[in-house]
Amino acid sequence: MVALPLHHYLIVGAILFALGLIGFLARRNLIIMFLCVEMMLQGVSINLAAFARYRGNLQGQAFILFIVTVAACEAAIALALILMLYRRQHSLDVSKWQELREPGEEATEDTEPLPPAPREPPLPHLTPAGVEPEHQPEESHV
Amino acid sequence: MFFCLLSAEISPAAQWWPIVLPLLAGAAAIYLLLPRPRAYPVLWGAALGLVALMLAGVLLTRSSVFSPETILFWSFSFLAIIAGALLVTQHNPARAALAFALVVLSTCGLFLLLAAPFLMATTIIVYAGAIIVTFLFVLMLAAHSGLSDADDRSREPLLTTLAGFLLLGTLLFVLQRYDQRIQESTQEIDRLLSRAHEAAALNSRADMEEKIGKPGDDEELFNQFNKLFHTWKDLHQRSEQASISWSNIDHNDPRAVEKSREVLRDLVALGESARYRLGWLPAAADVPFSHMSGPPPTVASENIRRDEQGLPRMPADNAAYLGRSLFSDFLLPVELGGLLLLVATVGAIAIALRRS
Repeated sequence: MVALPLHHYLIVGAILFALGLIGFLARRNLIIMFLCVEMMLQGVSINLAAFARYRGNLQGQAFILFIVTVAACEAAIALALILMLYRRQHSLDVSKWQELREPGEEATEDTEPLPPAPREPPLPHLTPAGVEPEHQPEESHV
Repeated sequence: MFFCLLSAEISPAAQWWPIVLPLLAGAAAIYLLLPRPRAYPVLWGAALGLVALMLAGVLLTRSSVFSPETILFWSFSFLAIIAGALLVTQHNPARAALAFALVVLSTCGLFLLLAAPFLMATTIIVYAGAIIVTFLFVLMLAAHSGLSDADDRSREPLLTTLAGFLLLGTLLFVLQRYDQRIQESTQEIDRLLSRAHEAAALNSRADMEEKIGKPGDDEELFNQFNKLFHTWKDLHQRSEQASISWSNIDHNDPRAVEKSREVLRDLVALGESARYRLGWLPAAADVPFSHMSGPPPTVASENIRRDEQGLPRMPADNAAYLGRSLFSDFLLPVELGGLLLLVATVGAIAIALRRS
């Protein structure tokens, strides 16, 4: 029986890394950008685990544990930052923060308007079914 | 080894299209699926993406082995890639977070295939259990109805897709070259080994000499081995010694056949160790490495214990051995990691504190 060659795992890691890069550059939601960075880390982790397996050595796995540690720290800080940014602008859009760009850079503007949100179907209008009967207020003897 | 890998000349189109074809389809799919105010039909992008995935599976790996391991590998990696594409292209951030959970889970499946069960458990607990759940909380806090700039627009979808797939293309190209070189060299070694085996099976010295070739000829077996070993000095020396002892055997010696077989057996052993050395960059011999994390990189690849698939053996008690490695080789990094967690906790609290 032949084992899977090493480069199969490396290809999967490379694809996840590239997808994460695209997501980080293209998306504008702060949280999705963060998740894309985490996906890039996952791609790197697959590489490290594969090298550890094909070298018979645990050092790669130890590296992944440190990646997980750093990712946890990063998640805590990113969550705090995102909460702070959301409180200031009431939106998760990164482009709201584009006054932080370098001097001399053009501001990006969204030219194409968003299509109007589909209107929700109106609630059915119910006719009152009848007169509410009078009833005695409940008494309790607790 | 690596220099000859990079300096070998690039052959024409034949090598390019197995990489370029799936990449183009994948880039088109991601470009069509990225969120924008006037979206393209989802079906086009999805169909193109599936085509890209199938093409990549067939053209890039060319594997025809069907074992439980390969089937699990294929399903986990396809799941990871599809979920990754969903994460990048999904409008609804809550669904994107769930797609990321799927990426993490299928990566954990790959970790299991790579003999890392402790990492699988850690990753599920930390990522799927903690990170995603906290981020879902924030998403729910920030949720609002209708379309928004944050979720339904992308920055420069065309340029971004090009950049990402250009990076992927270069990575895949190098990996493909590497794999091709290793396969070619393995086939060459196997061919020579089978020739040596055939020669050793013959019953007279004259037949063996005929099988091996005239001395001095380029096609002679020993010359071929010498040429193959030119990057490994020790193997080269030993194969030259074998060649000398082969020519020193006297024809009239009654034990000539046994002696020749012995020389051929040595040669086969050399070839076997060369097979394990392919693609294996050795560390410098005088660099200190401990044995606490498994065989250190200074150990020659042919001296590592391997299973019947040819992979190095890993300890079954993964967590115990990983702990041994962490608290011997990586003691200082573990302490630093703890410190980093503490600093991150303090920093997160300080940033998120409401100052009113």
